[in-house]
Order: sequence, then C-alpha cells, then structure tokens
Amino acid sequence: MKLELRGITKRFGTLVANHDVNLVVNPGEIHCLLGENGAGKSTLMNILYGLLIPDEGQILIDDEVVTIRDPKDAVGHGVGMVHQHFMLIPVFNVVDNVILGSEPVKPWPVIDYKAAAARLLDLANEYNFEIDPQATIENLPIGTQQRVEILKALSHHASVLILDEPTAVLTPQETDAFMVILRSLKESGKSIIFITHKLREVLALADVITVMRLGEVVGVTTPAQADERKLATMMVGRDVNLMVDKAPASPGEVVLDVRGIYVEDERGLTSVKNVSFEVRAGEILAVAGVQGNGQTELVEALTGMRRPSAGRITLNGVELAGEPVRRFLDAGIGHVPEDRQRYGLVPTLSISDNLVLDQLDDPRFRRRFGRNLKAIKNNGVQLVERYDIRAQSEEVAVSALSGGNQQKVVMARELSRELKLLICSQPTRGLDVGSVEFMHRQIVAIRDSGVAVIIVSSELDEVVALGDRIAVLYDGDIQAIVPPTTSREELGLLMAGARAEQVTL
Amino acid sequence: MTTTATQPARLGPLMRLALRARHANMFIVLVLALFVGLIFGGIMIVVTTPILLNSWSHAFSHPGATIASSFNTVWFAYEQLFQGAVVNFHALRMLIDNPSKVNLATVLTPLSGTLTYATPLIVAGLGLAIGFRSSLFNIGGQGQVVAGGVLALLVAFSFHLTPLVQVPLEILAAMLGGALLAGLAGVLKAYTGAHEVIVTMMSNYTMTLVLGYLLIQSLFARPGARDGASKAVGATGQLPYFFSHLSASLLLNFGFVIAVIAVIAVQWFFKRSKTGFELLMVGQNPDAARVAGIFSKRSIIICLTLAGSLLGLAGMLELTGVDHFITPNFGGSYGFDAITVALLGRNKPWGVFFGAIFFGAMFTGGEAMQAFTPTNIQFSLAQVIQAVVVFCVATPALLIEAFRLRDGAHLVSTTGSGGWL
Ligand SMILES: Nc1ncnc2c1ncn2[C@@H]1O[C@H](COP(=O)(O)OP(=O)(O)OP(=O)(O)O)[C@@H](O)[C@H]1O
Ligand SMILES: [Mg+2]
Repeated sequence: MKLELRGITKRFGTLVANHDVNLVVNPGEIHCLLGENGAGKSTLMNILYGLLIPDEGQILIDDEVVTIRDPKDAVGHGVGMVHQHFMLIPVFNVVDNVILGSEPVKPWPVIDYKAAAARLLDLANEYNFEIDPQATIENLPIGTQQRVEILKALSHHASVLILDEPTAVLTPQETDAFMVILRSLKESGKSIIFITHKLREVLALADVITVMRLGEVVGVTTPAQADERKLATMMVGRDVNLMVDKAPASPGEVVLDVRGIYVEDERGLTSVKNVSFEVRAGEILAVAGVQGNGQTELVEALTGMRRPSAGRITLNGVELAGEPVRRFLDAGIGHVPEDRQRYGLVPTLSISDNLVLDQLDDPRFRRRFGRNLKAIKNNGVQLVERYDIRAQSEEVAVSALSGGNQQKVVMARELSRELKLLICSQPTRGLDVGSVEFMHRQIVAIRDSGVAVIIVSSELDEVVALGDRIAVLYDGDIQAIVPPTTSREELGLLMAGARAEQVTL
Repeated sequence: MTTTATQPARLGPLMRLALRARHANMFIVLVLALFVGLIFGGIMIVVTTPILLNSWSHAFSHPGATIASSFNTVWFAYEQLFQGAVVNFHALRMLIDNPSKVNLATVLTPLSGTLTYATPLIVAGLGLAIGFRSSLFNIGGQGQVVAGGVLALLVAFSFHLTPLVQVPLEILAAMLGGALLAGLAGVLKAYTGAHEVIVTMMSNYTMTLVLGYLLIQSLFARPGARDGASKAVGATGQLPYFFSHLSASLLLNFGFVIAVIAVIAVQWFFKRSKTGFELLMVGQNPDAARVAGIFSKRSIIICLTLAGSLLGLAGMLELTGVDHFITPNFGGSYGFDAITVALLGRNKPWGVFFGAIFFGAMFTGGEAMQAFTPTNIQFSLAQVIQAVVVFCVATPALLIEAFRLRDGAHLVSTTGSGGWL
C-alpha cells in the first residue's frame, strides 16, 4: 500500500507544528522520520492516525484521497500506530488487550476467547514473535509489551505501521530483537514509519529518511548517502559534537556514602542486596546494567521514595535512610526520575509551575503570603530560553509539549537547583542529538562545580561517555566499579553477571 | 526540497470566524449546552400541553398555525422564566416612567431572589470543588452543611453580642463544624485508607439523625413549635438585608458578599498559595507530588478540612441569611445540588459562582413561569432544562461530536484540566 501526505499544515493557536509537509511511503519500505524535539513528528503521525485533524492538506492511499477523522477511520484504511506511551491495560492479559475494541463474538454477546487466542498465535507465528497469550501485561517486560502493541495493530490488518520512538524505552538487547521484527515485517510487505532519535538505528534500518525541522521537511535522504554526522547536521542545522568533551574529574571529599543497603520491591523481593559505594564531590558515577537488576529500587532508595530494609545512606555525614522525601530534597539531592510523565511532571500544570515543582519552599519563589508568581514566571522564561524548551510560552500546560521537551523541563528543573548530589535516571531519554549534547555538557558542568553526580542509563554509550567511574549492577549487587576506559566487551561480561576477577581488567 | 502539491485555500475573514467557532472551547460548549437545554425544554412544553399536542395532529392542514402557536407558547414561557429570574421588563418600564421605591423594589425582586437562592450554593459548590480539584470525592456536603448550621445556631442563641462580633463568631463556629466532620473523613482516609466517598456518605445519614435528635432537645427546640423548628437566630445574629428599606420581600443579604469573598479566596488559594498548589499537584499526579516531597496524608486532611469548612459556612449563610431557624430538613438539597454546581462550573471558582447563579435563576424563574403562564407550565420544566444543560456540560464529548467541533479532546475530562480562569 502506498501512502502519501500532501501539504499537511497543523497549527496549535499561533504555533505551526506542521507546515506544508509532504511525505511518501512506498509499500514494503522502512521510512525513518528524524527531527529535533518539537519538530512536529508526533503531530504528523497523530494526523495520519486520525488523532488530530489537519488544518490543511490531504492524505492519499494508493493515490486516492481519503478522509481520516478518527483512529477508527485510520484502522479501516490499514494504518496502525504504536504510541510511545503504550495504550495497554496492565491488568488484562495479552489476548484481552489485543481484541479490545474488536472482540470476536459468537454467539452474541459471548466473546470467543478461544478463537481470539488461536488467531493471535497464528499471527505471532507468522512473524516469529514469542508470546504467551495468557500472560498479564503488567508482568511482561517493556519489550514484550511493545510486541503486544504491534500484534494488536497487525490483528487489524494494518499495512502501514507507525512506530513513535519505539526504542526509547528498550534495552539494547530488546532493541536488537526489535530490529529483527521490523525487518521481518518489511519482508512481508508492510510499510513502516519509524521515529527515533538514535542515528545508529536509522542508518541500520531505514530505506528512506525524512528529516524535519521546525515543522517542515528539510530533506529526504537514504542511509547510503548519509552518515551520523550528516544526519545530525541536517536535523539541528549546525554541527553537533557526538562525543562528550570533558576534563578528568578532580574528586573532592565524599558526599554520598551508602553502606550495606538492602531494598525490597513492591512484591517484597529483595532487589538491592548489600550494596555499598561512595560518590565524591566533583565526580560522576555511572551505573550500568541490564534493566531490572535493581537500578530502579536503588534510585528510589537514594531519593527517599523507598525505605531500605537495612543499611545506611549518609549525605555529607547526615543519615537519611528512612527519612521522608522532603528531607532528601532539602539535603540537596536532585532527582531526574526515569519515567518523567509519571514521576517528574504534573501534565496539566504550566511549564513555569512544573519548573518549580519541588522548590515551593525556596525563598526565591515565595512571598510573605503565598507563591511569588512573578518570580516563578521569570524563572520559567529563563529556563525555557536556556534549555531550549520549544513551546509557545512558559504558560502552556506541559501536556502540550513534545516528548523530548517534557524531558528538558525535568532536567532544567533539577539542574537549576542548589545541589549537593544529582541523581539522573535515563537523563537523555527521548532527546534529539543536539539536546543530548547540550545536556551532557550541563551534567559535566554541574560536576565541575563540585556536585556529586550519579547517572543511571541503559545506554552503554552514555555510561561510558559521562562516567568517571562505572558501577555495574547485576542481580541487585554491584559486580565491580571500573574506570570508563574499560572495554565494552568487559562491561558486557560484567553486566551479564561475570565476577570482576573472572574478567581480565 | 518540498513541493507544494495543493495551494492552501484562501479564506475570507467571515469563513475564518466560523471555523474558529468550531474549535471547541468551554464558552462555546456552555452556549451550546444552554441552546440544547432550551430546545429540549421547548419540546417538553409542546408535548405536555394538550392543546398544542392536539394542534400537531392537524399539522398537515395548518402547518404554519401549528408551528406558530407552539412557538408562541414556548417563547412566552421562556419570557416568564427570564423575567422571573433576571429582570421584569414591564416593571422596568414602570420604574423608568415613574421612579419610586415600590417600582424599584419590583424591578429588583427577580434578581434578588436568584442571588439569594444562589448564595449558600456558591459557597457549598466551592467547598466541593476544592475536593474534586484534588481528586477527593467529598459527597458529604449535606451533612457538613447541617453541622455548620447547627453550630452556628448554637452560637446564635447562646450569645447576644453586637452583630460585628456575633456574626463572625457564627461564621467561625459553622466553619469549625463542617471542618471537623469532613476532616474526620480525611484522617480516616489518610491513616486507615477508608474511602472518603463511603465515610462522607455515611456522615450525611448520621447528621440527619443527629439533627433530628437535637431538635427535640430543650436546648435547641423552640417551645411550642409543632413543625420541629428550632429556636430562632436573634436580630443581632442575622445577616443584614441590603434592600430592606425598599421592601420586605427583597431577601438579598450580606451573605452574598461573603460568597463573593469566598470565591476570591479560593481563587487565590489555588493560584497563589503553596498549600493550594500542593493540593492541585496531589490531585493531578500523586506520584509526581511524592517525588517533589509532598506528604500526601497531610494534603488529604487539609483538603477535606478546608472543603468542610466552606460547606459549614454554606449552612451558616442559609441559617442566618434566610430562614433564621433550623427544621428537620434544614439545607434542603444544597449539599447535593452543590455537587452539580461544582461540576457545572468545572471546579473553577468563578465557574462555580455562575453555575450557582444559574441554579438560582432556574429556581426563581421556574416559579414565575409556573405562576404566570396561562397553560400553567410546571415548575419542574425549569429543572428539566437545568438537568439537560448540566448533562451537556458534564459530557462535552457529546456536544463536540454532535456539533462536530474540532480538537475538543482537552475538554473531555471532568476534573477540569488546564489553567485557572
Ligand atoms: N496539543 C497541543 N497543543 C499545543 N501545542 C502542541 C500540542 N501538541 C504538540 N504541540 C506543539 O507542537 C510542536 C510539535 O510537537 P511534536 O510532539 O509533534 O514534536 P516531536 O517532533 O514529536 O518531538 P519529540 O522528538 O520531542 O517527541 C511542539 O512545539 C509542541 O509543543
Ligand atoms: Mg514525539
């Protein structure tokens, strides 16, 4: 099926999110959509999927103009979409989620679960997906949940599949599996529109690459004609330094001292076991590890969200374990949570308000009675400018921001606080290459100003680029703390559970 | 690299305005809701008036006359509704021709009735909106109104101080009453997880029974009263009427000013105060609030306590502004109507204000309509219109779909997202 978008324009008030965008997707093609945060990629895809109505322009399928007013129309025309934030019901099982909205009934009104499960398995076999139809969604890893979303789209006979930043939340291993899936979908003649900020994936997968900037298409190219550097320049409109420049750290005294902590997860299983380490002023400790080896619980313990069942957490000599979150914040701990939408933002509030969410008591933002709205607004104006948050103004609700710009809001807020220790989980998730470069420089600058920094990232590149020391977490325990010069193979072995002494260092 | 496939159509300014009007916003939704309500009410009038209904069975022979008579009847009824609720044009003309105290009083009567009815409802609606904004469903408005009214009454007949002291004392007592009752639900929710809907609902029943008990105690009961009425609030404890020098039937009183102050205070609270902001955070995204160091147990208790104090105040306004004594069904259905008012006002302070006034208008206007239409259109028709309007506002998705408005997704949430007015 050939798909064409012609002259699409979409405005939000005075902001032009898409301006006269043209896009052609041929059958059996993987078409990568690349562009800065806020360039209008998600908007364009939401238009194609009927979630937004364009102000101008047409959608053509096999050279015929079609009207798509809502997702039902889109599905009817063979368009499927997997959103960056999954739309699955966590307590339902795989079959339930896939048939939701188009339940096979026989006889009415009884749902024919057996037929549904059989169909699902057929479909999964066709594309070599491994999936248990009866598994409950919330117990599945993110990568598998994503497969369920893809299956759901395929079960509606989608011949064009839109994937909005599917790899942002995947581990490197899951990403590899995902690329295999994409290729097999392509083999079977499906067209795929794929949005990502990871240039390496683009070069590995794309047949055609369309680059957007400020709502317009600025170029169409192919992997053969481009490389990472060239793509980055096309996107951002300037040269991007893909490496992190940083001087060697000059660590000061110990800021954070963690001694023998044990942390339990929701199910009561011990997911952090007897972990001890310290972080000094002016250094970056990067935590590497395959997702699910205790990173989440460790960060939750270090930020006061979860009380460790044993052990001590001291910041500049003050014991914090078991104290409320407020005390951790007041002690000077900044926290960029992994799931920004759930833990980092209040989407209905404005950008300015979100930029002071955890600083309500800061004298800068208070008056004798109540909050100092003027100062909060000024702060918003400044940070929006400084962190290049793309928005109509600092007064708009955060929910109207693009994914990457939401991430910038959280980063801007935490980096602008008076800090002793900064803890960032996935600091650059969803950011474009230009913003990644900028954030990395900010994190290094914070380090150089004498703040202790902990970075948790599933991107090995980021861990190696930022860390002054790298702690490898495996099964809730620190396998080893190694220098950033350690080879990737060695890091890989450590992450897979090899003991430090088994790895030649 | 882009090629312009289609020339964007040039639009005239009028066309552009029409397109703009199709973009969903709250104002348009309200106007459409009122429109739908009035149309629906019109149909109800025709259907329930036998003469009109009969005329429709001959509609084929005299289509013009049939439509005209139906239209005239409906128009006349709505004219009465409006004149009974806002201003009577006939009286206005008399006043202009002949300015006098009596004529001025007649002109003011409808609006005074509307605002008087709305006064306690504004404050009660605000109280509930505070809870809803923070995702706490306090449906114990009725009980909290009663608690406030009872404590205010206790103060009212226990002391006989100058009004400047007496009235504020009554206010404090009433707010304390409502706050204690709702705060209890807050404490139970925060520390035991008891759901506030259950606890507050039960407190309504409890307060009804407590009120019944109190009214037969000699402390409260009025000697010799057969309707179970309580002792009355003395002259110094009453809220002064604004227009008592014009006519005794102008009941608008100082309570309305208190209600406006409450609106401004709640507006300030959410926009400016730290606590209000924290409540919004906890209500909209409790997880993010926790990461930002906000102690949600405390927020829950504060929120319900504040909500209760406003509902208690509503009870005081009802007591000292209009009735001056308490009967077993004190407060009418204010506690529940206030839920609807909060919904209608989308939980925003000025929204609640106008929502309550709309309720007041439909009440006083409805009475006028029943009294002055020759075919005796029922009072409940006003309530039908009111219900349809509320229904439409509560389900903007329906209007957005029916009138094909664009980009209405942001309106389709009942907690009312987005910025403050
Ligand atoms: N509902 C909305 N109301 C107002 N502005 C919006 C809305 N949705 C998107 N925008 C704006 O439109 C622009 C494009 O956003 P979009 O989400 O399409 O960007 P994107 O290319 O997907 O970026 P990212 O890589 O960060 O996800 C942004 O500036 C955003 O703020
Ligand atoms: Mg996006």
